[in-house]
Amino acid sequence: MEKYEKLEKVGEGTYGKVYKAKDKATGQLVALKKTRLEMDEEGVPPTALREISLLQMLSHSLYIVRLLCVEHIDKNGKPILYLVFEYLDTDLKKFIDSHRKGPNPRPLPPSLIQSFLYQLCKGVAHCHSHGVLHRDLKPQNLLVDKEKGILKIADLGLGRAFTVPLKSYTHEIVTLWYRAPEVLLGSTHYSTAVDMWSVGCIFAEMARRQALFPGDSEFQQLLHIFRLLGTPTDKQWPGVSSLRDWHVYPQWEPQNLASAVSALGPDGVDLLTKMLKFDPADRISAKAALDHPYFDSLDKSQF
Amino acid sequence: MIPNFNGLTKGKMEFDLEYPLTGFEEHHFHAFSTLFDTESDHSPSFLAFKSTDVRFSLRRHSLFLISQAQSSYKFDDYIAYLAVNYIDRFLSKQVVLENKPWIVQILVIASLSLAAKMRNVDLPLSDIQRDVGLVFDAQSVKRMESLILTTLNWRLRSITPFSFLHFFISFFQIGDSSLTQPIKQRASDIIFGTQYEIKFFEHKPSILAASALLCAADELIPLQFSSCSAAISECQYLNKEELMNALTIMREMLIELRESIVDADSCSTLTPKSVLECERTRSQCETPINQDRDNIKRPRLSDLRDDQTFQISQVQ
Repeated sequence: MEKYEKLEKVGEGTYGKVYKAKDKATGQLVALKKTRLEMDEEGVPPTALREISLLQMLSHSLYIVRLLCVEHIDKNGKPILYLVFEYLDTDLKKFIDSHRKGPNPRPLPPSLIQSFLYQLCKGVAHCHSHGVLHRDLKPQNLLVDKEKGILKIADLGLGRAFTVPLKSYTHEIVTLWYRAPEVLLGSTHYSTAVDMWSVGCIFAEMARRQALFPGDSEFQQLLHIFRLLGTPTDKQWPGVSSLRDWHVYPQWEPQNLASAVSALGPDGVDLLTKMLKFDPADRISAKAALDHPYFDSLDKSQF
Repeated sequence: MIPNFNGLTKGKMEFDLEYPLTGFEEHHFHAFSTLFDTESDHSPSFLAFKSTDVRFSLRRHSLFLISQAQSSYKFDDYIAYLAVNYIDRFLSKQVVLENKPWIVQILVIASLSLAAKMRNVDLPLSDIQRDVGLVFDAQSVKRMESLILTTLNWRLRSITPFSFLHFFISFFQIGDSSLTQPIKQRASDIIFGTQYEIKFFEHKPSILAASALLCAADELIPLQFSSCSAAISECQYLNKEELMNALTIMREMLIELRESIVDADSCSTLTPKSVLECERTRSQCETPINQDRDNIKRPRLSDLRDDQTFQISQVQ
């Protein structure tokens, strides 16, 4: 690891500390993600091998944060794995925060929301076309290059290799705000639609500069969703009341989504509505989203 | 409540060489562009080596040991194929100066171990080590695994010719769909055979896949060969000239293979069987295959560092 000069700790990811560092030889800035690897006498666990090699392959997309290399070291007999990623200067959470508070609060330019959402859908479509779910999409996991207006997906979960804890190891509660209702309701068969729900929440958050559904427990998270979108019925979402964690909820009527995201025009609201469909089977796919009229005014040749 | 995470992928647990990304069979056409874009990262290359390079003989010995272990323990062909792919890629990138039997052996054991982990299969590695003649301590095998991982930059989802079979067979307009599976099966057999021939290293995995399918079509549906050939040449990702070169070499290989079956004792032709036969004779002199089990040497990987043949410092 003497190849890299650690500059500062930039975050505490779900799986461990993240450092900004410099490659001493090339001067390139990188993000070092330290992961604790549960090693047994069999060496590197098969799950870690399979998932890291998958990350290697997926990170060939422009819309996925590139995994540059993997450094596997033994520190006092304890195996530590550093995933070395390309470095981007900020993430979407910090970017939105800087527009909400601080010296110069202002909305995100509509054309930037459109461009960020397009890049996000491109990245998600890339993952999905390769059979990979992200499952933890949130603004903190979307890295942004402010100068170039680039957005990339980071933190593709290392689900099997590194069990996702309820609390990250810093005891920060893993956010529920972007979690799809079927996941909250305990569905065991969830699919690519879970990511599209998160994309919808992120889209709304860019327009509002605050989270759409800021719940702090599974139950409250569902109440937030139902209060805005109406309590789902079996007619609207076949099988919902037989999901494992379904309870009886207050019967809310759907509110007007457009008023929650007043910064979006009708096309934007229409796309958001399609991303926030209760029934996962009805939810728009990333690939279909790319062709939605909301993006008609975007210059796609730049992507 | 936290959902029961099943990992990154929706598909099968193990690495499937035909679907290198996730083993998710409901694949999308789009996914193939990634394969074509990245296949060169996964191809071994010995082209720059001198013919006297010790890595050629390391490779031959490794292949021999793997095929021997495979015939004893009957593990699946893909594990062997993958292990050889790791060895080839490792040797392409590492300078090895000495041809010592134990270097071959630990390379084989660590590669088989990695391949088995990727395929999610348990291999009786300690039995295999005993058969091979040397039992390494677990720490050494781990360190060798680690060295291979670093050298391959953890790219263990090798893109091989198998990865492209589904893609190219979709170009064939075969009237009788029941023929698709046999053609694919035959092409797979041919691909397994190509791994023994160093001259195929200069061809990309996609080219080998297309070429193996054409050879299979030529054997099974000869009347439709030219239409298959024309269809596959239309593919935007393929260079027609490269394809024709590979096809010529592959046909020669198949003819030699057929001849070697007739003339099984011959060591002069470069066919999988004959290469192994030759190796068997040679290796019996060079490697302690039948070493007494009670008298097993336990070399440590740290010896490698003294030899300064592998760049062990990379993993520290």
